[in-house]
Amino acid sequence: MLRTEKLSKRIDAFSLRDISIEVGKGDYYVLLGRSGAGKTQLLELICGLMNPDRGRIYLEGEDITYKRVQDRGIGMVFQDLSLFPHYSVKDNIMYPLRVRKMDLKERVDRVQRAAAGMNITDLLLRRPDTLSGGEKQRVALARTLVTDPKILLLDEPMASVDASLKDNIRRLLRRLNRNGQTIIHVTHDFGEAISLASRVGVIHNGRIIQEGTPLDVFNHPVNRFVARYAGIKNFFRVTFITSYKSASAISEKRTRFRLPRGEYPSSGLLIIGSSEVLLSRQGASGFGINNIRGVIDDIVPSPTGFEITVNAGDYFYADITHREMEESRFVTGEKVYVSFRPESLRIVGNGEDIKEY
Amino acid sequence: MKGHTLFNWIFTILASLVLLFIIAPLAGMFFDSSFSEVRTTAADPAVRRSVWFTLAIAFASTLFFAVGAVPLAWIMARKKFPLKRVVQGIIDLPVVLPHTAAGIALLGFISREGALGGAAQKAGILLVNNGAGIALAMAFVSLPFLINAARDGFAAVPERTEKAALTLGASQTRIFFTVSLPQAWRSVVSGFIMMFARGMSEFGAVVIIAYHPMIAPVLIYDRFNTYGISAARPASIIFILVALLFFVLFRVLATERRVLFKREDDASD
Repeated sequence: MLRTEKLSKRIDAFSLRDISIEVGKGDYYVLLGRSGAGKTQLLELICGLMNPDRGRIYLEGEDITYKRVQDRGIGMVFQDLSLFPHYSVKDNIMYPLRVRKMDLKERVDRVQRAAAGMNITDLLLRRPDTLSGGEKQRVALARTLVTDPKILLLDEPMASVDASLKDNIRRLLRRLNRNGQTIIHVTHDFGEAISLASRVGVIHNGRIIQEGTPLDVFNHPVNRFVARYAGIKNFFRVTFITSYKSASAISEKRTRFRLPRGEYPSSGLLIIGSSEVLLSRQGASGFGINNIRGVIDDIVPSPTGFEITVNAGDYFYADITHREMEESRFVTGEKVYVSFRPESLRIVGNGEDIKEY
Repeated sequence: MKGHTLFNWIFTILASLVLLFIIAPLAGMFFDSSFSEVRTTAADPAVRRSVWFTLAIAFASTLFFAVGAVPLAWIMARKKFPLKRVVQGIIDLPVVLPHTAAGIALLGFISREGALGGAAQKAGILLVNNGAGIALAMAFVSLPFLINAARDGFAAVPERTEKAALTLGASQTRIFFTVSLPQAWRSVVSGFIMMFARGMSEFGAVVIIAYHPMIAPVLIYDRFNTYGISAARPASIIFILVALLFFVLFRVLATERRVLFKREDDASD
């Protein structure tokens, strides 16, 4: 449906480089990246607010690279929502219909339908400055959707919404997508990506560094940056040692990891999720399990319990629940074993040392 | 807190002195004139004609030049281009020029020998010693007030609202009239009022272009020269009162912007 081909654009000192993405009809594509990664600029290129220096954009097979913004049939909701402050909610939603010179009855019908769809019928006569963040978000969505866009571009749609209302907006977006609306959604929040996306593209310093399903990206991050994005904190740069009956890896700090038997490159990055790391005073038992001795460096409360940092030459991060903490009563400075199964270890990328931009 | 109080006292006294400096001469003028003098002068057809003429010419001049000044203000607020600072300097130039010098420069331009004046004469229009010339002189010295106020107004309009309108399918012209101008409206009107007020009080540039027909500031000067201060004073009072009245009226209208700027199909749906 939408395809960009090596899109490049220089904006002052920053540049988007060789962006090639493909979004199918009905996809929910989440573009994930930190602020300043070039997400908004990419959306502006796609909807035509900026022209690229190089590259092409195709929509439903048609080259729209230099087509006027107004004629692209792409809807965009900006991060600050950009409602017209001098118009009522009704006039905001009706704005694109007036532009299209639709007759009055059709305009009113469409506004009513869009308002009902977004559950804002009772707000139609209000002014934008009297609305809450969530209400503004719905008005901005209604104003864009009333034009039946081929693709809906959303720039950080959860940014201006209270935490308690995020679920609401998330449900709304999922419903829109289920009804066939193709969406490109820009965010810095991996959780948002996981909960909404059918495909994820990770953008960093103006480049797409990984693309795939959220699960792909989470399980096989191509580099440390993406892994960190996916909430992984345990990274180890290692050299792999394999023989016909065993496989292991040694980190730069001389930590030795047992690995499942298999083929490994000579060196690479190992990662393990904090929830898969166990802590105990006596070590865990089990065939081939990794038990590494270290000292508790820090204990920090987390939403689900505590995050404990263990210094074992390398630093390990382990998540433990409130109940586990009550039972074990770990304290800073205490000697413990860090344990995990060899199968929990994952290699970042294909083991190759992919450059982190 | 003692130091803070002393600071407040000193600043209040200094500020009051400046305010007094503005108010005292005006108040003195009112106290020095009798009501009957003012009434007689107000009934003088020459004074009446001159006051209305001044207001009408200043308003027409502001309205006529707003057609170009508002787009220029928008360009200055939104566009980046080479030598933009030079252009801004040119816009501000009339404020710093001696107004008689501005009048001389303008006279050279609009007299029969000048570029504009010559062209106008071919079309049968004379620009010197009439309302058209006076309007040009007023505009020349007062345009920066409108351009700069409108520029600040447009600059304060969030550019994203204009971009949003583009993505919603609106043309640039439509966006200007339905998104940019309504949001900058207050500043534009405020600039309009400032230009109008500055234009109607102009003397230096106007007197070079046209002594007759007499605008109010020239009439006051003429009365002063011919009959002395006592004759000039009532005319000044009348002109100040009328100017103030219009100034306040426009301000009130500008704050009620919905009255002035009704949207295209507000009534229809």
